[in-house]
Parts: sequence; structure tokens; C-alpha cells
Amino acid sequence: MIELRGIRKSFAGVEILRGIDLSIGAGEIVALIGRSGCGKTTLLRCINFLEDYDAGEIKLDGEVLWYRADGTGGRRRCPEKDLARQRQRMGIVFQQFNLFPHMTALENVCLGPRFGQKLAADAAELRARELLSRVGLADRLNSYPAHLSGGQQQRVAIARALAMKPQVLLLDEITSALDPELVAEVEDVIRALTQEGIAMVLVTHAMSFAREIAHRIAYLADGQIAEIGPPQEVLDRPRDKGLREFLRRIR
Amino acid sequence: MTASDLWVLAQAAAISLLMALAAIAFGTLLAVALTPLAFAPWALGRAIYRLYIFVVRGMPVLLLALLVFYALASFWGRISPYAAGIVVLTLYLAALIAEVFRGGVLAIPRPLWDCAKSLGLPRLSILRRVVSPLVARYALPPYLNVCVMAVKASSVLSIISVWELTLASREIIERTLDVYRVLAVAALFYFIMCFAIDRLGRNLESRLAARGFAGERL
Repeated sequence: MIELRGIRKSFAGVEILRGIDLSIGAGEIVALIGRSGCGKTTLLRCINFLEDYDAGEIKLDGEVLWYRADGTGGRRRCPEKDLARQRQRMGIVFQQFNLFPHMTALENVCLGPRFGQKLAADAAELRARELLSRVGLADRLNSYPAHLSGGQQQRVAIARALAMKPQVLLLDEITSALDPELVAEVEDVIRALTQEGIAMVLVTHAMSFAREIAHRIAYLADGQIAEIGPPQEVLDRPRDKGLREFLRRIR
Repeated sequence: MTASDLWVLAQAAAISLLMALAAIAFGTLLAVALTPLAFAPWALGRAIYRLYIFVVRGMPVLLLALLVFYALASFWGRISPYAAGIVVLTLYLAALIAEVFRGGVLAIPRPLWDCAKSLGLPRLSILRRVVSPLVARYALPPYLNVCVMAVKASSVLSIISVWELTLASREIIERTLDVYRVLAVAALFYFIMCFAIDRLGRNLESRLAARGFAGERL
């Protein structure tokens, strides 16, 4: 469903991604692991074009995203309108929650459907209420982010990403900023989502969680996918030397 | 200084306040139009913004007052010093407030921009639903600062014969030679006006805080 081909990206002359190829099927869950600085977050941000990339192509259901051929062999960014429309097909959840601080939980979740997808106010609100109760926050609809715990904020952020009814959910280390006792409540929400067949790409350091929910795990090193496969293979019988070293160190 | 002098000063203070409030209102509107220029994708827009700030902020208000007054007068013939005074203060405050707003935009954490973009919001919605409310909240304290300055800056308008608190004080001093008492009363009036604006602002701040506007970590 999503296809990445030859994604390359440099920051200030340093090549962070050196040709990433990855296909993700409908409903498939892929975990990206690797040392910090290996480019996994950058890759995730490239997928929904929060980061532009220097070369390569990203397709969703066969449609080429973000760039268009300009007819002379080069490429041009799609117009803002198309970017916005394409982004609505993906949801992203960040490490630091990033809720809009001036809006209640309900307003945060309504924002995308209401003004991105132009849903009527009551329809957007209905959807938001439903999602917030699904993540266990039916009683905090009118709370501002400042008055929610980290785990609650992150669950609102997940509901906000889901409110666009995305085909893919991108999760960027969503439990790393949480106190240990709050990690479980966020993981539970994601675990429940795996039953619904939504595709996910998650960047994570939580290996046991990745092992549990991911269909495949991709190990990134030096801007490339050094190893990819089912969790039992990648985590239990790693072939790549760097990966063996990495796994030994985080255990 | 008699009771009637005091009454005269009170009236002059009201005029100072009205001039300042009118200029704050118009200056804020002009700043709302100016600030987007600072972030315009075209270099010309940014250049116009910088030039405006550079010229207006780089010039003493006194000079600006004379310049605008004589320029307007040579254009339209006789003009009301009060109208000219509001124009002067408006131009001056717009530069200060636009910079305050620009600071507010820069204070929006990058992740919140990312979030707004990732939701696929059109630009206008991002501006209305996310950027404007956040800027309002970040900019409120320095904005109030400018409002207080506006009241004091209105004293400069006495140079173009706007009859306001400073000019009225001088008239009474010339007549009564009661320098210190008159000036003390004038200072008290300025203080009361500034204090009132400050109170009003803090009131607004705490009301916004109750709506999630403060106290959270980003």
C-alpha cells in the first residue's frame, strides 16, 4: 500500500538516508529500530512530508505523493492544497504529544476533521467524542492539555491522528517521553488498534512492544535498512553484525 | 493651583487616554496587516516590512510627529492636530506591535507547526485556528507593555499642538508658576492611566490562563 523507493536525504551535506526501499502492505505494522541518529525519525517524517527528501519516490495506493515530475526530468513540490489532501491520509503521533495548548481535548481532536476535511461541526464532534472514549478519555473531553497527564495527552494525540480516518498511522517514539507507569496505557491503545487493520509504521526503542505488535522489524544503520524481517528473525537470529551489537547493548 | 485647574487637567488626561486608545486600536489593525509581510514568501514583502520597522522605530517619536504633521498639512492644507496625532501614534505603535506579533509567531514551537501541517489543515485554517490564538497568548505581556508606552508617548503630541495632559500642564504652570504641584498631578494622572491598562491586561491574562493558556509545558 505504501511504497518507498530510493529515499535519500541530506542535512547540511551529511547524508542521513542513503536510499531506503520499503513496502508496507495494508494493515501491516512495521517497526523501525536502530541507534539514535540513524535516521529512523527522519524517515518517518519524510513519509508524510514534514521533511522533504532529495531523491526517491513515495507512493500510497499507487499514487505518487508530495512531488510531481516537472516534464524536464526534474520534480516539483505539489501545490499546498494537494499536500494537505495527501497528508490527511496519514496520521502521525509525536514523542512530545504536541497537543494545541489553547484547545480542549475535544477541540484538538475535532480540528482535523472540521477544518481539514471540512466536516460539519456536529459530525466532527461526534467522531471526536467516539475516538476519545475509545482511548479511555470520555470523561476528559473538555480538559486542556495542561490539565492532563502525559499518558492522557498522548492518548488524545492518538485520537487526533485517528480522527482523519487515516490509512496509515506513523508513531514516532510515542512512549519515550512518558513516565514508566504511563507507558502501558498508551501501549494498550495501540494494541487495541492492531485489531482494526490500520497500517502502522513505528519508530521505537521498546523492543518487547515491537516484538509483540509488529509484523516486521526493520533495522536502520548508516541511512540504510541493514536488516528487515519478522520479529523472531530480526530480534532472535540477527544476521547483521551491527544489529547484534545494538541488541546486546540495549538488553 | 485651584480645583478648576485640577478639573482642566482631568479633561486633558481624558484626551491623552482617548488619543492613545484610538492609536492602539488602529495600530493593532495595521500591525495585523504588517506582521504577515515579515513572513512573506516573496523578498519584496519582507523588505517592505523591514524598511517600515527600520524607519519608524529608528526615528524619535517627536520627529515623526513633526514630519507627519507637516507632511499631512502640506498635502491637505489645514488639518486637525488631533487627527494628525492619531496618525502619528498609529504609525509608531504599529511598528512596535508588529514586532511584538512577529516575536509571538517565532515563539510557536516547531512541533506545533508540524502537527498543524500533518492534520492537512489549509493555510488559512492554520492561521486562524492555531497561529493567531497562540500568538495572542505569547504576545499579550509585551503587547500590554506597548499599550502603556502609548499613553506616555501621547505626551509628545503637544509639539503639534494637541491639547493633552502635558500641554495643559504647561499652560497651567505658565499661568500659576506652581511647577511641582502641577507636574505631580500630571504624573499621577499618567500613572493612574498606565496602572489601569496594566490591571486590565493582567485580568485578561489570568482569564486566558484559566482556559489552558498558561501553565502547561510544551
